[in-house]
Amino acid sequence: MTYLQRIEWFIGLVLLQVLVLNHMHINGYATPFFFIYFILKYNSGVGRNVLMIWAFLLGLSVDIFGNTPGMNAAAATVLAFMRGPVLRLVTLRDSAEDFEPGVKSMGFSPFFRYILLCTFLFCSILLVIDTFSFFNLPVLLLKILTDASITIVCILCAEAIRRKK
Amino acid sequence: MKNLLNFFLKYNYWFLFVLLETISFALLFRFNSYQGSAFFTSANWVSGAMYDVANNVTGYFHLKAINDELVQKNVELELQLESIREALAEATEDSSGIEQIKREALAGYDIFKASVINNSVTHADNYITLDKGEADGIRSEMGVVNGSGVVGIVYLTSPHYSIVIPVLNSKSSISCKIRRSDYFGFLKWDGGSSEFAFVKDMPRHSLFSLGDTIVTSGHSAVFPSGIPVGTVDDIADSHDGLSYLLRVKLFTDFARLNDVRVIAQKGQEEQLELEKQVKTIK
Repeated sequence: MTYLQRIEWFIGLVLLQVLVLNHMHINGYATPFFFIYFILKYNSGVGRNVLMIWAFLLGLSVDIFGNTPGMNAAAATVLAFMRGPVLRLVTLRDSAEDFEPGVKSMGFSPFFRYILLCTFLFCSILLVIDTFSFFNLPVLLLKILTDASITIVCILCAEAIRRKK
Repeated sequence: MKNLLNFFLKYNYWFLFVLLETISFALLFRFNSYQGSAFFTSANWVSGAMYDVANNVTGYFHLKAINDELVQKNVELELQLESIREALAEATEDSSGIEQIKREALAGYDIFKASVINNSVTHADNYITLDKGEADGIRSEMGVVNGSGVVGIVYLTSPHYSIVIPVLNSKSSISCKIRRSDYFGFLKWDGGSSEFAFVKDMPRHSLFSLGDTIVTSGHSAVFPSGIPVGTVDDIADSHDGLSYLLRVKLFTDFARLNDVRVIAQKGQEEQLELEKQVKTIK
């Protein structure tokens, strides 16, 4: 993937997130955070620093549009930081190998575990920062569960569509 | 020394990680403190202009529902106006008196029309972006209402956009009262459904019942008195047991906001100045 393509993806995902997905919810629950697809699909061989900077800028763009300065940026940076170890945890491959995470390159079960872990990590951090002032634990847990589930569904759909091409 | 350098080089990503997280949290906390800048929000010109375009498209989807509401409201107001006019005509033989009362009711306020270009209801702290800013006369601390009731208070302004703290924000606190009996409390929201908020500090001896209408009290410099807020939906005791906690069903549908009005009270600065002086004496 060239830099230009990455930037196209970047802009496309930010616009999709802020114009459509941020406004989707069922009584305040189940908002998809699909923009992390960008981080999840980045080649495994990428340096941690590079991925963190991409993630930070991605999160910050979503924040600026959504009036949540720093929230998505903080959560996306943690996700980028933890992605390498998570990827190594679910695949038994040699970590030096460079591949784009996906069903084809990893097999369905490891890929599913990979997005499951990453999405729950991201949603937990984001929503804990968001609900800072309330400490309403059942609501928080339900929010994390529903938001992460709908995000995973979105990611799997995107995977299925892109694989058919 | 060499070992130290090697250590830094080997773990350089830790430093970047800490740096990026620090920036994120600095942004988060600076926005939460009152005098933040509007740059890292949807009130900056890039995102503001983009939301303008998006709103031009999505604004049409709600037109029918909004139109229905307006017609309904118009009919109600016309009926009310008619009965009030009759009552007034009976009370005063002088017809110019009616005109004078009409003029006086709106004399103390400037009203600006604005459109909501960005809105959320799912966060713990929601914000609304309007397409009018300082250049149009909007200043922070002005009240925002729509056709059905209270929306919020202007928080930050940039030249052409402004950000409003709606009722659905943990920072929002609006003074309101029960219309029937004038006992007052504070309207707060603590997450959860966007249809309900709570009135705190309602005194033990106050008189009210389920279904009573809550309106703004007019005690603060932000809202004039009597703007509808919602109806009493449930009554409970506050945590310390010294006052009532009322659950209020809000009139405003925050998930479907489009056209709002910003109310500027003339003489607002004077009142704020006076209140500030009192605080500094303490």
